[in-house]
Amino acid sequence: MKLVLNILKWIVLGFFLFVAIYPLIWLLLASFKSSNLELQQNPFGFPDQWMFINYYNAMVKAKLPSLFMNSIFVALVAVSLNLVVASMTAFVISREDFKGKKIIFTVIIAGILLPIISFMVPYFTIIQKLRIYDTLLGLIIVYSTINIPISVFLLTSFMESIPVELEEAATIDGANFAQRFTKVIIPLSQTGLATAGTFCFIYAWNEFIMALLLTSSESSRTLQLGIRFFTSQFVTDYTAMYAAIVITIIPSIVIYFFFHNRIISGLTAGAVKG
Amino acid sequence: MKNNNIKMILLFLVPVAFLYTCFFIYPLGFVLSTSLVKWNGISSMKFVGIDNYKKLLTDKTFLLSIKNNIIWALSGGFIQIPLATLVALILARKPRGWKMLRTIYFLPNIISAVAIAMMWKAIYNPMYGFLNAFLEIFGIEGHNWLGEIGTALPSIIAQTVLYIGYFMIIILAATTTIPKSFYEAADIDGCSILQQEWYITLPMIRGILVTAMTLAMAYGMRHFEATFLMTNGGPAHSTSVMGLILYNKMDAFRLGEANATGTILIFLGTVVIVLIRKVLSRGDAGADSVQ
Repeated sequence: MKLVLNILKWIVLGFFLFVAIYPLIWLLLASFKSSNLELQQNPFGFPDQWMFINYYNAMVKAKLPSLFMNSIFVALVAVSLNLVVASMTAFVISREDFKGKKIIFTVIIAGILLPIISFMVPYFTIIQKLRIYDTLLGLIIVYSTINIPISVFLLTSFMESIPVELEEAATIDGANFAQRFTKVIIPLSQTGLATAGTFCFIYAWNEFIMALLLTSSESSRTLQLGIRFFTSQFVTDYTAMYAAIVITIIPSIVIYFFFHNRIISGLTAGAVKG
Repeated sequence: MKNNNIKMILLFLVPVAFLYTCFFIYPLGFVLSTSLVKWNGISSMKFVGIDNYKKLLTDKTFLLSIKNNIIWALSGGFIQIPLATLVALILARKPRGWKMLRTIYFLPNIISAVAIAMMWKAIYNPMYGFLNAFLEIFGIEGHNWLGEIGTALPSIIAQTVLYIGYFMIIILAATTTIPKSFYEAADIDGCSILQQEWYITLPMIRGILVTAMTLAMAYGMRHFEATFLMTNGGPAHSTSVMGLILYNKMDAFRLGEANATGTILIFLGTVVIVLIRKVLSRGDAGADSVQ
């Protein structure tokens, strides 16, 4: 009985390991193959020859470098804006007492449950009215705002765990309200900020629907939108298309490699707190 | 409560109030109210009452989309969550390499839906994809997975439901709050591992399971991206979902109908959330505190 359970356990774990990682490995290998014919004749093995030229083709045809810069710019600025706004909010909610605080917090957090895709029409209208349609600024504002509920949630629970004594000491030393925020709470919240920032970055980097909706020209196209456009350019050349997809995945994996502990502990903290 | 910092507090809340009003509260009101008008975005709105809803609810494709969304939600709640729970329970006993496995299982969750969808489109490709090549080894005939009515919807759903990483991690986290002594006592009483999981672990993590199911089902109701990218609703609308209808209505400048679709989406999403919490958290006060 124990042995059977043990075997079943490793079958389950092995299956999900396969599902999580093999498609990525297959895509990576396929992206180096020489032609569609080789994809058919040699679907699983290593490429006969490692065709780095596929990557060059993908870069040039899809103008990946400029899309890459757009995505990086949008994601970084969105994260900054999100963290500034969310940390100010979390600060007053976690460290101050005032009327209506609970309601404000609940209303903000409820935003997590709203299906943002149902807001397609109003977002389009608002962004047009603000005259930032088809600009990176429009995406920055939308991305940073959509992530406010989750960031406020993470930062509030983080800031609540900072001992009050530190702030009291700062007040005695003459720190005012703003200084308590910038000199005491912010430096002590770096871990929380990094977690919230990582979530926001991953969201902004990966977002597709709003980019599709709120931009039209090539100059404000992000990487995710790019994948969709260049898959139509590469209808006949699958290997170059796979190379292009791999290129867009790499930054996410690099970030995950460095921050996976932080991401997982961020999720864990949310779950344990409930 | 008196607070002499009230001016500063308000000042600190100005940015969030502005952004939240612009992008959450106003859109919500806008979607609900303009679902009752005929509007193409250029000419002025014309009030038509519940005509948009009548039109949608008599449209076969829309009804099929609701059905598909429900299938998505059920697959999330009743396939994805049990699988995630199974893996979480296994990892909770800390088998060799569990931390590494946890990290790898979550990896696909940080890759964009677009890249994942395109990757699976490649995998399902009848000519060049690995799925058919893999089945061929066992002499099983392949399919045009995304092109046949019978296989298209299950193929897209499988591509989402099998990625259990996110839910597995939050469930696994909840198991760490269970005191070790419970299991030690059960061991002494001669309970098998399966009995321990069934009678101790599952009841103890009930709250997080309800939350996970709620989220998975809510995500199913609002599903859009993978379908849009992999089949765009085809073949013969068999994979259509509400989000796709909304997008297409908007693309055709039928904004009133688009917002009626949005309203139904918000409504059904809320119904799913309320319903599942009612059914599952009966007599369980702990689950209600989970936001």
